[in-house]
Amino acid sequence: MVKIIISIKNISKTYDMGEVKVEAIKNINFDIKQGEFIIIKGRSGSGKSTLLRQLGLLDKPTNGEIFLDKKEVTKLSSYQRSKLRLKKIGYVFQEFALIEDLTALDNVMLPAMMFCNRKQAKRKARILLKKVGLDHREKNLPKQLSGGEKQRVAIARALINSPELIFADEPTANLDTISAKGIVNIFDNLNKEGHTIVMVTHEPEDEIYANRLITLKDGKKL
Amino acid sequence: MKRFETRIPLILTWKHLRHGNKWTLALIIFLMAVAFINFIFISSLFNGIEESTNNQTINTATGNIMLFPEQGQEVIDNVDEIITKISQLENIIGISDQIILPATLEHENYAGSWQLLAVAPEKEKQVFNIHENIISGEYLKQDDLDGILLGIQIAGGEDVEMNAFSLHGIEVGEKINMTYNGFEKEYILRGIFQTKYINADQRAYITQASLNSLSPAFADKATTISLKIFNSSNEQDMIEELKNLDINETIYSWEEVAGLMKSLTKSFTSINILLSFVAILIAIFTIFIVIYVDVSSKRQQIGILRAIGIRPYIIVSGYLIQTAIYSLAGVLLGLAIFYGILTPYFNAFPFELPIGDVVLITNAPEMIGRTETFIWISIITSLFPVLAVTRTKLLKAIWSK
Repeated sequence: MVKIIISIKNISKTYDMGEVKVEAIKNINFDIKQGEFIIIKGRSGSGKSTLLRQLGLLDKPTNGEIFLDKKEVTKLSSYQRSKLRLKKIGYVFQEFALIEDLTALDNVMLPAMMFCNRKQAKRKARILLKKVGLDHREKNLPKQLSGGEKQRVAIARALINSPELIFADEPTANLDTISAKGIVNIFDNLNKEGHTIVMVTHEPEDEIYANRLITLKDGKKL
Repeated sequence: MKRFETRIPLILTWKHLRHGNKWTLALIIFLMAVAFINFIFISSLFNGIEESTNNQTINTATGNIMLFPEQGQEVIDNVDEIITKISQLENIIGISDQIILPATLEHENYAGSWQLLAVAPEKEKQVFNIHENIISGEYLKQDDLDGILLGIQIAGGEDVEMNAFSLHGIEVGEKINMTYNGFEKEYILRGIFQTKYINADQRAYITQASLNSLSPAFADKATTISLKIFNSSNEQDMIEELKNLDINETIYSWEEVAGLMKSLTKSFTSINILLSFVAILIAIFTIFIVIYVDVSSKRQQIGILRAIGIRPYIIVSGYLIQTAIYSLAGVLLGLAIFYGILTPYFNAFPFELPIGDVVLITNAPEMIGRTETFIWISIITSLFPVLAVTRTKLLKAIWSK
């Protein structure tokens, strides 16, 4: 029987914009099983990124529960969620979210340094940079990298602590077609290696890689 | 903090210093240096005022130690015998006996009452520095019977502060009529001195030989005996030694004599403390603004660090280390500017105050104390903006620009 890693129950997220309250996602339920490649799709403003942030523990839902490895996580403190993010979740942002003052290698090894020494972190980071095809760019700062290269560094960083789950929020949105294809291929390979991947995307051609599609419309799961 | 985590703040700081914007870094360090200079400048100026006041008092008016007539007496008798006794002590640079008289000096249509000191010029030179401050003419010679030396405030002149109450620009070689207690004598102005210490510059000097020729009763008598010693920190020891010499005269240190100066320097100390407090406030606000702007510009980077699981206290520690480095670099730059530019400048062009020329003076313990205070203030002050930014909502931080 395939293990359920995440289970979400009736989660909603409402943003309080002063006089107006915006309900970004409404009563969403689903499970994420180990080894799945899920693509969340929908139009702009449909709540895709909001949903992913709740799953990635970057934000707390207004209502509902999220179970990570059967443990309810929405009530956890910021410190506990940070600890879970570090150990179990790899998150890839649309805008790369690299630390500008750190080289590609330093960016990748930084989360690993919470658990192991610098030498071990560096070794792991080099392996991952090689895996995403950037071993020759390890000493470059983010400003010296192209969009595709930055995103590959971000993917390597997301993988450094061997997380069970990888969330990717429109990772190809800022990339040219060739770079975008390369990035999706990396996710595909990672999935084939056993990683569970949840990716938000606009691109219909990415859907062929997914085991499952979740479509959102006006904050609701169709 | 766990063993592996301890290195992260140091690495983040090092990488930021190495790869961050050099102009921003230079500007932050420069602002820190300005705040530090502001923190040390006023106190070193007051140190300068205090030191100038003390030196001027010692070098122009009192010496280190003064002997006065014993209780009930108007003059010190047997001056030569007392000086012979004192001369046996070690650490004495010079001894000068003086007779101080309230005299009236008159030149053409101008007259006034001033302190007239009858001195032995050669002894006087060993204790006081009036002879080094002659601006016109020359100092008195030992056996000058007709010569008089005037302070600039008595001689007067266009730019002289007390010109209205002076002899209005009398010149060397001109005659002055002196009257004291029924005695009258005409003197020739030998020289004019200017110590820049307004109290000293309101005195006139004649030789003891001249006074003795006018009134032999003053021979071997003095109203004060002043001593200059090698190490001014040994004044109290020297006073004890003098008391053991079987001398009946009243003995005071210069600080006890110059009561006004003491209260003046005490006032300076109070003002210095107050202004130091103001300088601390200015440093706090400057550092707060500098660090707040610096940290706010990295709000997104801080958000990313939090998003990838780096704990806030590690991020805060990194920024506190950064602030400590900024403030240390600011202190070093501030010291370089202070000792390399400001101190030499004010040595060349000192502040001209009525107590004399004032330069910037620092002492090592105070400087070390102020440096430590500044660095701690920087670290503590920076904690507030750093905590504020690290407590911003994670999503707001990540997507802030």
